[in-house]
Amino acid sequence: MTTPFFIGLDVDGAGAHPAAAVASGLVPAELVSGTRLARAVRQAENAGVTFVTFTDALLPAAPGAASSARLESVTRAAFVSRTTTAVGLVPQAPTTYPEPFHLAAQLASLDIAAAGRGGWLAGVTRTPETAQAYGRGPVADVEREARDVVQVVRDLWDTWEDDAVIRDVATGRYVDRDRIHYPEFEGESFSVKGPLITPRPPQGQLVVVAAAGDVAPSVRDERLVDVTLVGGADVATAVAAAEAARAGSPRAGVDLEVVLDGADRTAAERLAALDAAVPAGARSPWGTGALRYEGHAAGLVTLLEGLAQAGVDGVRLLPAVLDEDLPVLARDVLPALRAARLTAAPQPGATLRDSLGLARPANRYDARDAVAVA
Amino acid sequence: MTDHPLVRPHAQVHFGVFFQGVNHTTIWSDPESGSQTDFASFERVVRTAERGLFDAFFLGEGLRLRESRGRLHDLDVVGRPDAVTQLAALAAVTERIGLVATQNTTYNDPADLARRLQSLDVLSGGRAAWNVVTTDNAWTGANFRRGGYLDHAERYERAAAVLRTARAIWDAFPDAGDDVSRVEVAGSALRTPADVAIDPTTPRSPQGHPVIFQAGDSPAGRDFAAAHADVIFSAHGSVLDDALAFAADVRRRVVAAGRPEDDLKIFPGTSIIVGDTPADAEEKARWVRSQQVTPATALSIVGNVWGEDLSGYDPDGPLPAHDPVVEELGGERGSATTGARTREIAQKWRAISEAEGLSIRQLVIRNSGERGFVGTPSTVAEELTRWVRTGAVDGFNITPWIVPSGLDDIVDRVVPELQERGAYRTAYEGTTLREHVGLREPLTRRAAAADVEAPAA
Repeated sequence: MTTPFFIGLDVDGAGAHPAAAVASGLVPAELVSGTRLARAVRQAENAGVTFVTFTDALLPAAPGAASSARLESVTRAAFVSRTTTAVGLVPQAPTTYPEPFHLAAQLASLDIAAAGRGGWLAGVTRTPETAQAYGRGPVADVEREARDVVQVVRDLWDTWEDDAVIRDVATGRYVDRDRIHYPEFEGESFSVKGPLITPRPPQGQLVVVAAAGDVAPSVRDERLVDVTLVGGADVATAVAAAEAARAGSPRAGVDLEVVLDGADRTAAERLAALDAAVPAGARSPWGTGALRYEGHAAGLVTLLEGLAQAGVDGVRLLPAVLDEDLPVLARDVLPALRAARLTAAPQPGATLRDSLGLARPANRYDARDAVAVA
Repeated sequence: MTDHPLVRPHAQVHFGVFFQGVNHTTIWSDPESGSQTDFASFERVVRTAERGLFDAFFLGEGLRLRESRGRLHDLDVVGRPDAVTQLAALAAVTERIGLVATQNTTYNDPADLARRLQSLDVLSGGRAAWNVVTTDNAWTGANFRRGGYLDHAERYERAAAVLRTARAIWDAFPDAGDDVSRVEVAGSALRTPADVAIDPTTPRSPQGHPVIFQAGDSPAGRDFAAAHADVIFSAHGSVLDDALAFAADVRRRVVAAGRPEDDLKIFPGTSIIVGDTPADAEEKARWVRSQQVTPATALSIVGNVWGEDLSGYDPDGPLPAHDPVVEELGGERGSATTGARTREIAQKWRAISEAEGLSIRQLVIRNSGERGFVGTPSTVAEELTRWVRTGAVDGFNITPWIVPSGLDDIVDRVVPELQERGAYRTAYEGTTLREHVGLREPLTRRAAAADVEAPAA
């Protein structure tokens, strides 16, 4: 059976356009409320989306502007882990400055709470202002740092073998210490001893997602990224980029910004209004190298069918304004893709790996597996 | 028993629950004991606590798995979730109960930590708290980028600077309007290589910002709590005279710090064991203690002090005849014991076991924490009420001896007894943790108000 075309959807804040919060007229408390977040993710799940991403950054898009209000992404994903049952939950968390040990425990905890639906969009941070927020100097080679952090986080997820907890009443031992390991990781800019404080997550390894080029290739013979997201100014470029990305990861998808026709305004009219409302001092303009679609829902269905036929594994949709574009996606786009048997809604109880057709990895420290392979 | 005046005749008992995670307190060997990892266990405990109208649910933190002499300690429950992440998931399945995350100031960056805690506070509708802890050992630091880079004195300096910075980040967002202030702190105060400057993104929650808990019993820890915390999580939860002495001491420190004396709430950790009759309860308490201190655990605890493997010793026999081979306890068994002089401990233990005729295991059982409250639901309720009304404490942080059913007895049997005495709430009065505990506005916001009022005075 072939794996269905995956549909990711970003559910950050009011939407992906830098003026989405202003245009939606939401005050900060509404913009970040748990109720609003849970509702958006529930809508995405009901629409049959494979996974949602939670775009994040430590610093605001427009410094000093309350419209830049945003909560930390792993915390957001954990909150909705218990209000959903099928959709994958993929917070964007940076590799550049945070502590890899904390990150590994946070993401493993997310996967436990979500019963195996956790992922990690491993980001990199290129702004010097973020270094200042940590009281550190800028990291010169962010791709190399990303490689080391992804590598050590993956090592830490495996530090507990699946059956490390033995609860052996006869000897009084709760765990088998021979099944818990110290990675003793030595990277180029930091080291981590281990083991992780959190047992191995349900998926063994969470699904690691990254933008093409953000994570340098492993120095070991190992794949660090499960799903690569590529951009492209046009369809042909994006398809070629996805094809190239498959050399480094088992799945490759296209990041796709969408602005859809509304009930009373065309996509072009909506976009013109949004562009005119971008707050002064906004750091990231709309258009970050992703492919873009503006127009009616049927045209988007055709585009997605075309990408699938060209061999792309899936897309991550970046809706300009969540409250306006998500209802159209749910009503007019996703049902058409399912009817065409291009996509399938994730099943309750399935892991994100299941939904993406990725196997549960063996534990790198399990000597029994190594023997079995040899 | 000394008779103490009921200085707060109408005070009510408050409860928190400490999901301990890592300690020999939790009896994992019992058939009733559930998974210590599955979300369902945490959910059951927090839902029971909320049904019992508890103020708060606590999660601890450990940043390195405990060891004995270079090998993983394998006898106790081990392996736990990241506190803030787990509490965010629990926030979605609860409505009122407070959610307390233990988070270390030594190995966290304020920009990151403040944002995660405030995110939990916003998503939970104002129910978050931060239990501030510090670490000073390089052994834990081996898991972090900067390693063990603080000595004992500096860890409290950094803790105060991290807390001040976190509060500044939380307060940078206005209640209304569009001007979010930039937060700037000298790198030397935070012991970071460079100066720190942050533009915050996290709006205020209904309680302003997370409540601050502090658990530290040393004079420096008590002073830190008196100056900065809303709640002190003490170890004085078994002997009333001891609890009253502790309360008097911290209240002196609170007043010296320029705060009203009831501004810092006192919640000692304790355990509660109830039975149908006093004899039943005593029998159950003895059984619980014997399950907590298995023969292997007793030998491991004594072996840690002696610095050698004593697993060949008879747990029902005497302590080793020779002196400990190491001078000081390292940090491998948790920071509470770091630096203690082993020979002094050994001499004290020998004197006790000779005087009382105790075996190794009996001695460890005797030493193994204070006994908490043991009795019928009615006698326990009577005693808890007395503790609160003499002003010894404001509430109790209960550590269940079994997970996830360990709170059932307390919620179903002790809480109704307290309610009958008018010594426990019958419904949550508010929605935020700050309201449950009866706290004033966050300290920083009061200070701002005082500055505004000062010229008129």
